[in-house]
Amino acid sequence: MPKNKVVPIEEAMSHVESGMSIAVGGFIGQGDPLTLIDHLKLMDVKDLTIYENDAGYGERGVVELVKQGKVKKIVASHVGTTPAIGKAMNEGRLEVEATPQGTLAEMMRCGGAGLGGFLTPTGIGTIAEEGKQLITLEGRKYILVPALKCDIAIIRAHAGDTWGNLIFRGTSRNFNVPAAMCADYVIAEVENLYTLGELDPNAIHTSGIFVDAVVRANVEYCTIREEKFNG
Amino acid sequence: MADAKTIIAARAGRDLKDGQIINLGIGLPTLIANFVPEGVDVVIQTENGAIGVGPAPAPGCEDRDRANAGNQPITLIPGGSYFDSATSFAMIRGGHTDATFLGTLQVDEKGNIANWIVPGKMLAGMGGAMDLVTGAKTVYIVSEHCAKDGSSKLMKQCTFPLTGAEECDVIITERALFRRYPGKGFVLEEVAVGYTLDDIAACTDMAYAVADDVKLEAFGE
Repeated sequence: MPKNKVVPIEEAMSHVESGMSIAVGGFIGQGDPLTLIDHLKLMDVKDLTIYENDAGYGERGVVELVKQGKVKKIVASHVGTTPAIGKAMNEGRLEVEATPQGTLAEMMRCGGAGLGGFLTPTGIGTIAEEGKQLITLEGRKYILVPALKCDIAIIRAHAGDTWGNLIFRGTSRNFNVPAAMCADYVIAEVENLYTLGELDPNAIHTSGIFVDAVVRANVEYCTIREEKFNG
Repeated sequence: MADAKTIIAARAGRDLKDGQIINLGIGLPTLIANFVPEGVDVVIQTENGAIGVGPAPAPGCEDRDRANAGNQPITLIPGGSYFDSATSFAMIRGGHTDATFLGTLQVDEKGNIANWIVPGKMLAGMGGAMDLVTGAKTVYIVSEHCAKDGSSKLMKQCTFPLTGAEECDVIITERALFRRYPGKGFVLEEVAVGYTLDDIAACTDMAYAVADDVKLEAFGE
């Protein structure tokens, strides 16, 4: 019988410590793990390094942790939707490393897939290649990008079972899938929780093998709640 | 006469070919979806994880889990689907996307594009743009011809950090259309209503050739 990974949010989040690296799912608010971010806001941690596509949207998301001074560095493809990030960077309170979106997603996927890195043509001839090893294969130039391994990942799914099998909804799947693969300890907040066997095995997007803890999402961040999941 | 953005989006729409898979950048490029010609079917991919993007939902029918890369609510057409970001960029980087339409800060005569950072001023980030210009088969820059200060965005050489090196294939502005050909560089093929060849020369810093059959008053009515 697969293990029941449903735990109180305090227990799951107690794995987060100062100085850790955290992969965060979501895309400018779509599928952002706001329940877990809200809990991080209450915790006494600092010097976090965040790997996320962005820093949230407007005033919501990882940007709130930045404003609290908990984040040392953010590696993202786009921070234009959260003006407070540019401000923190200009004031020297935050380091921002811009990474192409496809490169960031693949860094996470590779980290979880046991690969050392990958070769991408994206960014050749731009500052994205600075400081990176370049490799030419069959006449085409590539950047060698090392895979990403994080201490923690926090993600959100629409539905999950007690073992951590996850189903996402619409465009909220995004970085939640690769983020779930790349961390030592993966915490998923789920909008709808099911017992084993209730979710269609054909419909699972992320296998519970990647997930360490399952917590219930705060009801106000849920898009649709339903008694029986219907896809 | 329509405003510059509408003129650009309408001309870009006329360039679409039946069956193409396209990705539209945030802002002006998104308007191109309103100008798909009759009889032309294109499939729109959005890099946050959907293909088959349809019209905006009716007011009141928006859904937080259904949005494009600019966070605008979307619907899907029949046959559309959702996927994760690693899969999305396999579609983009892997050469499965026919055309991408992006705005820009600068573009130059070699086809270099700079649209993600103004050093010391603005850091939005490149988002998916570096992957899109690398992986899409045809890269369109759709942008106003000049910056707010009146300087030409079509430069001899980009001064901002690049998004892609020698990746731009077509430039469409409210004044003109240029296509880049191997060994020839950019060729002026169309001039919009209200502009002459001299007007285009006066507001374009990059070097270009004029097509033998250049079309005047080609668009922008």
